[in-house]
Amino acid sequence: MPSEHSASDHSSSTNTEPAGATTPAAVRERLDRVTDPELDTSIVELDYVEEIQIHPAGDEGNADRTGDADGDEVFVAFTLPTAWCSPAFAWMMAGDARREVESLPGVARAAIELRDHMHEREINRGINEGLPFEDAFPDADGGVESVRLELDRKARTARQHDATGALLEAGLTREQLAGVTRSDLDFEGAPEGRVRVWVREGAVAVETDADPVERYLRKAEATGVLDDEHPELFRTPEEEPFDGDEVELVRQRTRLAGVNMGGQGTVCDALNDARHAEDRPPLSTREGAPVTPGEDDRADAD
Amino acid sequence: MYVTDDGEELFVIDSHLHLWDASEENITHEGGEQFIQCFYDYHTGFTPEEKQWDLDEYRQYGADRMAEDLFGNAAVDMGIFQPTYLNDFYADGFNTIDDNAELAERYPERFVLNGRFDPRDGEAGMRELERQKEEYDIQGVKLYTAEWNGDSKGWRLDSEESFEFLEKCSELGIENIHPHKGPTIRPLNRDAFDVADVDDAATSFPELNFVVEHVGLPRLDDFCWIAAQEPNVYGGLAVAAPLAVHRPRKFGEIMGELLFWLGEDRLLFGSDYALWNPDWLVETFMNAELTDEQRDEYGVELDVDTKRKILGENAAELYDIDIEAKKEQFRTDGVADDFGLADHYAGGTSAAPADD
Repeated sequence: MPSEHSASDHSSSTNTEPAGATTPAAVRERLDRVTDPELDTSIVELDYVEEIQIHPAGDEGNADRTGDADGDEVFVAFTLPTAWCSPAFAWMMAGDARREVESLPGVARAAIELRDHMHEREINRGINEGLPFEDAFPDADGGVESVRLELDRKARTARQHDATGALLEAGLTREQLAGVTRSDLDFEGAPEGRVRVWVREGAVAVETDADPVERYLRKAEATGVLDDEHPELFRTPEEEPFDGDEVELVRQRTRLAGVNMGGQGTVCDALNDARHAEDRPPLSTREGAPVTPGEDDRADAD
Repeated sequence: MYVTDDGEELFVIDSHLHLWDASEENITHEGGEQFIQCFYDYHTGFTPEEKQWDLDEYRQYGADRMAEDLFGNAAVDMGIFQPTYLNDFYADGFNTIDDNAELAERYPERFVLNGRFDPRDGEAGMRELERQKEEYDIQGVKLYTAEWNGDSKGWRLDSEESFEFLEKCSELGIENIHPHKGPTIRPLNRDAFDVADVDDAATSFPELNFVVEHVGLPRLDDFCWIAAQEPNVYGGLAVAAPLAVHRPRKFGEIMGELLFWLGEDRLLFGSDYALWNPDWLVETFMNAELTDEQRDEYGVELDVDTKRKILGENAAELYDIDIEAKKEQFRTDGVADDFGLADHYAGGTSAAPADD
């Protein structure tokens, strides 16, 4: 089943950087693994990340903070395309960002600040204090897991389009494509960056670019498709296996999932540009409007 | 009417209009301020720079300016008002049927005035729906399922209460149901863009038409799949159309999908005014083309005949508008007088005498 980490796009288990050598590039590389779950695109690529600060362990500036003597403190600020972006999506991105940065070996703690959002106080407090979503938002009826799973399913569907497109291009027939299983894929025996798919009961292999297939596998794993009761690797959007003669319809539907994400990405992109335009009027100054970032009372917000 | 370089006339019904008031005096909750700010981002994000408004005029533009924007350059022939109440955010509502009526009553032959209901209003809401029918003879309702109402942050079209109201619509002959399916902020942990509730409602009320506004854009895939199976589900292009401004290729892809899954008879143009102004948006839409690659991929055309349907004929079908009779009437109506448009409706295909 999907884990809290499933929107992060890579395994976090391989750390090669020596402790104490936290660099902005290393932080950025970790943040690049965090996706906007609705768009299935990295928050770095989407230009949401506004600020990265690194306070080395033992730094004067860190003196009043607790529990971080063994590592660096990292501060990351990000902004979404509108103040109205789904709080659940914002929550996932903030939480994933914290986890990814804290997975760097030299980092003791990451502080995340979401800026200019309708619910920035609840989200910043909840993420930095490690609260579950339903504690940060007492009036929400449950956690974010179901939303995350739903978006992972969308991402799986869209990624399947690229993976199956590559395999059909490489020469698989529709019947073969419908029947491919995880164990038919061979990454080790293929040249670097390629994958082989064995068909006709292992008699013949076709070879293609590994990237779309690997990307697909990550979301197939996150949605539980790799270990449910069906061996077939590719599915309908409802996660059912399909026959060779249904391949065309399934391809049309997976295409649609990608177009939807791309279309919504376009909307977000334009909103992001509009919001950060030089002559953009500031968020309201009227009483009761959201507090601008950086004010002292943020930590005390209740 | 839009006239092509070849002299072809296209009758334009803008199916998504608002006359709103987001003045600071009318805002009672910070959500109201965020709402108009968010609209303004959409406006500037998808409006050519020289056509952008400033925020103050955007808050409250009034009936005169709206009439000028719609008819001054004959950008549209008719429009359909879609109210958005947001009573928890705005003292007198954001865009109510009674606000919209100010302009609709000035030029009654030019506007369709839609109403709204909120099933959480119970019996009082039922009475209000009857009032709207009686007072304005509404043929459609705009539904904003993400609207706040006291402790509730939204409702579903397939709920029991909602079905009672849809039943009432059916009884009263209010046939066109326009659920807004676009961005919203609540419920917090649910899929706020979910279009699944349209499926059940459309199946249960085959006599009603469901025009999903903004083609469910963050859920275009779910929307198309539902619409492909439910013949009484339509797509409103508000929000999708402006993508043609800076992202023509993306727009072509989205149109390709919509034409592929729904066909050319179930799509309605809408500017979402004042989010965008039909003055330039109709022109942008008319200039939009599919690439050769997109034509091959989807096996559809976005030619002038398709555009004629999307820009006016499909809405005319839903709202029983006789386009030829309207053209005749528009030679001498209040808009023709106020904006000097008599000649505009004098020539071309409308020259044939009307039967009556």
